[in-house]
Amino acid sequence: MPKGFLFDLNRCTGCEACTIACTIENGLPFGQSWRRIDTYNESRHPAAPAWHLSLACNHCADAPCITSCPALAIRRDTATGAVLIEEDACIGCGYCVWACPYDAPRYDPTDGVMRKCTLCNHRLQDGYDPACVSHCPTGALGYGALDGDGQEAEVPGCPELGIGPAIRFTPLKKDRTRPLLDNAHGAPAESAIVAPRGRAESAITLRGEWPLVLFTLIAAAMVALVIGAAAGAVTLPPGVFLATALLGMGLGTMHLGRKARAWRAVLNVRRSWMSREIVLYSAFVAVATAWLRFAPESVAAGMTSALLGLAALFAIDRVYDVTGRRAIGRLHSADVILTGPFLAALVILSPLPAALFCAAKLALYLWRKIQNANKEEEARSSVSIMRIGVGLLAPAVLWLYDPHQLYAGILGCAAIGEIIDRCEFYDELDTRTPRKQMADHLQGALAAAGRPAVWHADLLGGRPDA
Amino acid sequence: MPVHTTACPRNCYSTCTMKVEVKNGRLIRIDPHPDNAATPGGACLKGLSYVERVVSPDRILTPLMRRPGSDRFEPIPWNDALDRICDKLRELRERAGPQSVLYYAASGTKGLLNGAGPAFWRMFGGCTTTYGDLCWPAGLEATRLTLGDNKHSAPWDIVNARLIILWGKNSAETNIHQMPLIDQAQDRGAKLIVIDPRRTESAERAEFLVQPRPGSDGALALGLAHLLIEEGRIDRGFIEAHVAGFPEYRDLVAAWTPERTSKTTDVPVRTIEKLADRIGGITPVTICAGFGMQRYTNSGQTMRAIIALLALTGNIGRSGAGWQFANLQSAIFDAVPDPIALYPPESPDPKVRVSISTARLGRDMLAAADPPLKMIWVERGNPVSQNPETATVLRAFRALEFRVVVEQFMTDTAREADIILPAKTMFEQSDVIGAYWHPYIQLKQKVLEPPGEVKPETEIYRLLAGRLGISDEEVADHIPGPSDQEIDAWLENKLQPFPGLSLERLRQGPVTAPGTQEVAFSDMSFPTPSGKIELVSEEALRRWGVERLPVYDEPEESVRRPSPESRRYPLYFMTPNTKNRIHSQFNNLKMIRVMSDRPLLAIHPDDAAARGISNGDRVRVRNDRGRLEVEARLEHGIKPGCVSVTNGWWSTDGASVNLCSLGRETDMGHGAAFHDNLVEVEKAP
Repeated sequence: MPKGFLFDLNRCTGCEACTIACTIENGLPFGQSWRRIDTYNESRHPAAPAWHLSLACNHCADAPCITSCPALAIRRDTATGAVLIEEDACIGCGYCVWACPYDAPRYDPTDGVMRKCTLCNHRLQDGYDPACVSHCPTGALGYGALDGDGQEAEVPGCPELGIGPAIRFTPLKKDRTRPLLDNAHGAPAESAIVAPRGRAESAITLRGEWPLVLFTLIAAAMVALVIGAAAGAVTLPPGVFLATALLGMGLGTMHLGRKARAWRAVLNVRRSWMSREIVLYSAFVAVATAWLRFAPESVAAGMTSALLGLAALFAIDRVYDVTGRRAIGRLHSADVILTGPFLAALVILSPLPAALFCAAKLALYLWRKIQNANKEEEARSSVSIMRIGVGLLAPAVLWLYDPHQLYAGILGCAAIGEIIDRCEFYDELDTRTPRKQMADHLQGALAAAGRPAVWHADLLGGRPDA
Repeated sequence: MPVHTTACPRNCYSTCTMKVEVKNGRLIRIDPHPDNAATPGGACLKGLSYVERVVSPDRILTPLMRRPGSDRFEPIPWNDALDRICDKLRELRERAGPQSVLYYAASGTKGLLNGAGPAFWRMFGGCTTTYGDLCWPAGLEATRLTLGDNKHSAPWDIVNARLIILWGKNSAETNIHQMPLIDQAQDRGAKLIVIDPRRTESAERAEFLVQPRPGSDGALALGLAHLLIEEGRIDRGFIEAHVAGFPEYRDLVAAWTPERTSKTTDVPVRTIEKLADRIGGITPVTICAGFGMQRYTNSGQTMRAIIALLALTGNIGRSGAGWQFANLQSAIFDAVPDPIALYPPESPDPKVRVSISTARLGRDMLAAADPPLKMIWVERGNPVSQNPETATVLRAFRALEFRVVVEQFMTDTAREADIILPAKTMFEQSDVIGAYWHPYIQLKQKVLEPPGEVKPETEIYRLLAGRLGISDEEVADHIPGPSDQEIDAWLENKLQPFPGLSLERLRQGPVTAPGTQEVAFSDMSFPTPSGKIELVSEEALRRWGVERLPVYDEPEESVRRPSPESRRYPLYFMTPNTKNRIHSQFNNLKMIRVMSDRPLLAIHPDDAAARGISNGDRVRVRNDRGRLEVEARLEHGIKPGCVSVTNGWWSTDGASVNLCSLGRETDMGHGAAFHDNLVEVEKAP
């Protein structure tokens, strides 16, 4: 039977001895830790219990970080089950942070690599428990077989997600759920001050990811131009194409902690969409440059270039599947797999595809904005009006007026719209963290409970939103 | 790698045993020690943070002298520092007499070697010193008056309780090792009830939380006694055999109907009835009383009224039952036990003038006459931020000619010094310590050489004594020599009267103090004047001038007292301790700061709304004594009408809570009633 962390919600008081034990054992700078405690219902709303979750890495059986790492820098110690980052192989891209729903990996700016809980693998090998377990003064945090009685596989803040996190929970016992209170009357659910959500503490911000905004837009534009060139609508000088495409690639490597190891990013083509993105985009640039430079008359080469480009755009979009992004199915209005063909249709002035992509983008955009409004997130209507008015309606109006005369205007307006949407995409993009998931659960649970009096243990028995 | 057994000497219930590992002269690991049955899970976050504390770049490692007329300090050699201090001491001894020097020591570190201070000042010719204590005397005195002695059952006996009441105690933050014991008791079917105006971490797993108005706990206890007696849910046999004063007590509580109790305490009648039902219907009952509750002007009487509930129901002297306030069974080295040792001597000591109330430190320092105070020596304490009425304490400090502070860090008090002497940490000199929750005697072992130019206090005093011309023989009678062997020999000598205690044995782990009762008062012997549990105390009247019975009086600062102050300042300012600090220690460490980097005012959303305050706003907490500016944090868990900022922030953090408190004593025991503290809160302009 596999072993893992055992966490008893009844016993944890949020004392933080585990986080400090981690700091000491792993020689981390004072004040840093690979383990973190998050609190459910920190403001002590009378209708909900308050409890803590102490999490580090859950050393998942099907770890998304291992799958996602483009550099094959994360491996499992088969003897202990520990999921380990190999610092010599890590390129410091931070993609594992996006992939991990438990917020385990941390970027170490000193060495430019990712680090995280090692399960105290060195201690396990010597027959000791992880330091956080050994130093838990209340016995809330344990380490052992994952098949005990009365254990749950998940609690709010730590969903199972089918990835086999090596952790089990003893949920709050019926007599220990929360104290009965005299003042439980009347406190409205909205007044529970919960953790800031979404944008407020996102690991992905527009400010931080602007090179990726540029890279993905350049990729879409280059694919559109290659399709346009293949259709004979435009002439694309190979030098200009190559320089711009390489600029995009360069931007994509800017955020790496270890740029000299950037080559490792292609090693995980078998499983990581990030590796696939890089390989496909490189292939697209190479084939298209060769076609434009050496055989511009070859229809087959042009078609191959265009298809490789579309495949690269598809891969770029898939990279973001690991985050908690909002989309219908797998489509987002700013996805480059829509942007590329949309721009291509405008370049070629092909009315039916242009209208179809335009309508699809409009529908996806509006759907997302309605979703955001339902979650009471800040509406930025001027941005939305710009995106729709300039980016989608203006090109249509200009086209209807005179597509050839106003060709530059159509492309320019559409480009502005796509830039806005892509910026919004990154701004709204967010990683999942236990803290945010607990806050969301509390808000949902309080709203669902309606009257505080009906609150009971089952609401927190390990079935989020049950 | 060498692993040593040691113990944490902080002013804390848990007094954890630790195994520490040292590598290349550096502390690298602090592990649990399984032989301490009260703290087998190991040290709390603060205990672990010693790994940082001993090597913190903020540590004071050399003597420092204030540059005249400035706030800056510069290092000076030990010889210069000691010469300057001795010059001043000699001059003052001649000009104003030795009693112009105030020796102020607090509870920063426990240990037998702390006796070096008083011994030195006596050899110097005398000094002035303090009586009373900031921490717990009202509760100690109430317990002594009622039960005759301050002891309670071993911490692990609580697993045998069927009802546990945490009354004003937040064990999860201040005595975390009690929490797993409570959880075990709950697993065995015990019920947990918490009484606290705040929904604390400890309340979270309780059956219910009772939130009385601060300072009204005595009334709650009287009201509960009323119901227990009226419903006949008392142990008549036990009362007959072991309790004195029952008839008078019955008459006292007759008037405390649930309705009156509810009106006084702000606790609904049904909650009072439910609480009485649990106390009357379940046995054995253990009540764990916190220290905060006995820092009000009425709190000695409060504590007496609460103990009475256990006496009435026969919950004393049995396993799983009892009164847990302070367990002084390990105080075997004290000639006079607390709280008596905290009181001024009955006949004045010709050398040492015990005239400054710790609670009124600032006022009494300013008022001292014949001779007036000229100099202060502070060790193991931070009175500027921790004693009531910070502004007055500061004024008193600044009125002196000379101030010496022995410190590890640049605290608010160290900042006021003329000379700062670098202090050792717990790892840099061996000592023997007791505890006040579990019954163990422990060795706090030296495992590191003092860094920089740090010298332990024993050595500082020895060097001063030599300079002052006190003979080596006289010094050697009171203060051990500097070598590790001399310290060990001195400690061994202290242990010698107690069979089973030796340094060799203590190096292995904790040893239960000789004569310890695992279940306190199981012999039903109560060393009171009557030999019984005294609900009526003649000594209460004689010594403290309070009623013989624990009658309820409103605290002096109360929203129920009609006065201009209570109208202007309608909020109870609670200043509880947090898991992140022991009073003002630890919060300067990065490990701790990352969890708590600034003082926050907890305020109920209703009180905040009435003042136009939103979460995160800068707010001003003020009364006539002072004000502090902090960030507001809306919390449902605090009782409306109460606000709180945790105790122990430094002025560099922007807010010592004692800026608003008043130097004033508790009704008994010479404790500090700094929890009588009404304020108003408003948005900072």
